[in-house]
Amino acid sequence: MTTFRRSLENLFIPFSAIVLGLIASSIFVLMANTNPIDAYQRLFCEGFGPRGCETFGNLLFIGVSDGQGGTQTVFAPTYGEGGHRLAIVLERATPLILTALSATVAFQAGMFSIGMDGQFVLGAIVAVFLGYWLPDQIYLIAGVEGYDAAPQAMRTIMHLIVPLIAMSAAMAVGAFYSWIAGYLKVKLNVNELISTIILNAIAVQLVGYLVNFPLRSDFNNIARTRRIDDSAWLIPFNRGIFADIEWFSGARVGVGLLIAIGAAIGVWYFLWRTTMGYEQRMARGSSLFARFGGIPSGKAALRAMLISGALSGIAGAIAILGVERRVVDGFALSGTGFEGVLVAILAKESVLGILLFAPFFAGLQQGATNLQFGNLPRQLGGIIIAFIILFSAMEQYLRKRLADVSELRRARQRKLSTEVPT
Amino acid sequence: MVNAVEMRNIRKYFSSSNVLASDNVSFSVRQGEIHALVGENGAGKTTLMNILYGLIAPDAGEIAINGKPARINHPDDAIALGIGMVHQHFKLVPSFTIAENIMLGIEPNRAGFIDGRDEAEAVRKLGAEFGLPVNPTLRANEISVGMQQRVEILKTLQRNAQILILDEPTAVLTPQEVRELYGVIRKLAASGRTIILITHKLLEVKDVAERVSIMRRGQMIGTYNVADVTIKQMADLMVGREVILQVDKTPAQPGEVMLRAENLLVAGAGGMPAVFGVSLEVRAGEILGIAGVNGNGQTELVEALAGLRPVDVGTIELAGHDITHEPVRARRTRGMAHIPEDRLIMGLNLKTNLDENVVVTHYFHPPYSTRSRFHFPAVRQLAQRIINAFQVRSARVGEAINTLSGGNLQKIVLGRELDGSPQVIIANQPTRGLDVGSIEFVHRTLVAERDKGAAILLVSVELDEIMALSDRVAVMFEGRIMGTLSGPELTVQNVGILMAGGMLHETAPLPQAI
Repeated sequence: MTTFRRSLENLFIPFSAIVLGLIASSIFVLMANTNPIDAYQRLFCEGFGPRGCETFGNLLFIGVSDGQGGTQTVFAPTYGEGGHRLAIVLERATPLILTALSATVAFQAGMFSIGMDGQFVLGAIVAVFLGYWLPDQIYLIAGVEGYDAAPQAMRTIMHLIVPLIAMSAAMAVGAFYSWIAGYLKVKLNVNELISTIILNAIAVQLVGYLVNFPLRSDFNNIARTRRIDDSAWLIPFNRGIFADIEWFSGARVGVGLLIAIGAAIGVWYFLWRTTMGYEQRMARGSSLFARFGGIPSGKAALRAMLISGALSGIAGAIAILGVERRVVDGFALSGTGFEGVLVAILAKESVLGILLFAPFFAGLQQGATNLQFGNLPRQLGGIIIAFIILFSAMEQYLRKRLADVSELRRARQRKLSTEVPT
Repeated sequence: MVNAVEMRNIRKYFSSSNVLASDNVSFSVRQGEIHALVGENGAGKTTLMNILYGLIAPDAGEIAINGKPARINHPDDAIALGIGMVHQHFKLVPSFTIAENIMLGIEPNRAGFIDGRDEAEAVRKLGAEFGLPVNPTLRANEISVGMQQRVEILKTLQRNAQILILDEPTAVLTPQEVRELYGVIRKLAASGRTIILITHKLLEVKDVAERVSIMRRGQMIGTYNVADVTIKQMADLMVGREVILQVDKTPAQPGEVMLRAENLLVAGAGGMPAVFGVSLEVRAGEILGIAGVNGNGQTELVEALAGLRPVDVGTIELAGHDITHEPVRARRTRGMAHIPEDRLIMGLNLKTNLDENVVVTHYFHPPYSTRSRFHFPAVRQLAQRIINAFQVRSARVGEAINTLSGGNLQKIVLGRELDGSPQVIIANQPTRGLDVGSIEFVHRTLVAERDKGAAILLVSVELDEIMALSDRVAVMFEGRIMGTLSGPELTVQNVGILMAGGMLHETAPLPQAI
């Protein structure tokens, strides 16, 4: 009973934060002379609904022409005619899940690292380089023209090893970049928040330079790298195993999502089921206690930074190998790493929370990007998310309100029970 | 005469921890008296006083101040009614000067500009008026704990407090500072102010209070004239059963030397040496007490022995092995247990649950884990074993511990440290802040461990505790061991002389070298 009540309470906090965030954001919607209800309907439909969604109700049920002039009601989330928006939400959520996990591992060691952005873009640039350079070398050695000329067996093997090598290299680079901040913190007591901000700036500039000069592939207006070889491509569901399922047809979601979910399970297991996770959580909760118990806190913090960096690195690799397939100038400023930090904070550093909030976040972004409604700017999504985070930071206050309400109810019940004659 | 404080039928229920902290409590204090409020940890003393000070809203009951019914919803209301409270944990701004701390929020100003000299002068006058001299220009983080307390008292007086609530004021003071505080309390009472003293030290009640109110588990047991009750009677009323104040123990059967320190030089917090050439030996089956006024190097000595502070010069041996530069874990593996001074910060991690707290010293080896994988059944068994063996009431396997009382928390620390029969136990102030019942328990446990053959180093600033438990006593003063006493030499007088930095040479034969 108590655990049930506690989980209800834990759900109540983010839910009320979302509602309050929407209410607060309606100030800006009203300033744009738009009806908030209409705007939010549109926002959520664009974000989470199937095509042609009109009302909040349509998020659940939608009327579809049955081909004989009539309509029939179907369950909206599974209606996939022409591709479902939720598939695109999952595509956008994949790197967010990974960067949020990355932030969580660091936070759970008491390291407030926000270096996900830098590690993400470095992972991406390493993956894109290996994604075309490595197959080139293989073709050269094998004496084959290219992907199309390669025999089937060779393609299969390359489809397995090239992405694997690219992702591993991205993880290693991300981990190393994160380790720098960890080492500075543990050995020289340099504030990790500041050092990761600086490291992010360096990484973004470095990637910008690489895309514009050494790795620039053509004279396109916007600088960009070469496209990765087909053998390095993490083939999306709609071209691979789920080619027949129309639900996936509009999105580039693929193996990356499975990797992200696997990583989530791995991170949960690491944090809560292994002694290494225990060490870093204790070092965070009370550093004197950890020292007193003989826990090697510095080692635990460095380990956490390495894992955190590897997760952000693979997030960057998946964004390239699974979705973008090349790095375009400006990609480094996409902010996926920092959005991961926000998701981690919103999810209160719980792995399950990340799996729920990353798609929610991605959906709001998608809805806001597609929103063409009155005078509303694209930034509405960002405003709503900012408000939701603000309100979820008021957890203490909301919990107290909830406790007050339940106490009032209990007091009333007590009064009732005493009034009943025995 | 009108009572200064009259609280009637106060009731307070904490639904979060399911505790009835105040069960129809009535409490009255006469004007100008020193009134002690005693009870075990968790008896509801502090809750009652927090209600009086407006920090907690009661569910039911009435309060009258100086005969007039009062509604106190906020500390501001209490201050307006002339009530001041000095909390157990001081609430000074460390980087502010004494004057700035005292005048915080009520700064004298000229057209909105604060004049630091005005402030300092006002504070100097205030101190002189009440016989509590302070240097108003020192920063709060530069002054001793006793001085900080004095500043807190002056802060309430500056706000015209007529009723002063002091929450465990002597818990952090040296004996010298305690005597000074008693003087201050008596002086304030003589000037017509009313003092409410929350404490669980019964000796203190005997020393300064005129009347005493005793609470137990949220209920008021009664109010007595201090002159009419004995310490034993008060203790029994507090605990609700017979308390054995004397520790039963047989003479020690010392065995081999288990812990030896030689010529230790250890730096303190500021880099200055805090321990100068300390040598000591603890044998199996004996308790060596380290007496001394707080802050004479005991903390640094213990931290050096436990591996938390580097040793600059000298050696430490555990059962013949040199452990001077070994990390904490290696020492623990060799059979050292450490009961730290601060159980809330160092001894426990209050942010996590019972299981993760008890496993901290053992988590890295079987049966608790193999190749970094936890075996939770074994961890839960350990937690349950500690709950059973140490009767930790209200603790549950896998549940949070931050709602437990101080005594129960210390039982968890003891249970964890004593599990697996350690050879050497370092206990630093093991009963600090505990109530009578828990102190009794800790003392019996330590003596039992001694009888099982453990070598115990007991550091305490409570002379009674040292005298009751120790087989030999070493006295520390300014980082040195002034002498080690045992047998007929071991008297309160002799320990007292050494604690004050004196020598026994003139009055007694040279203490036997250790």
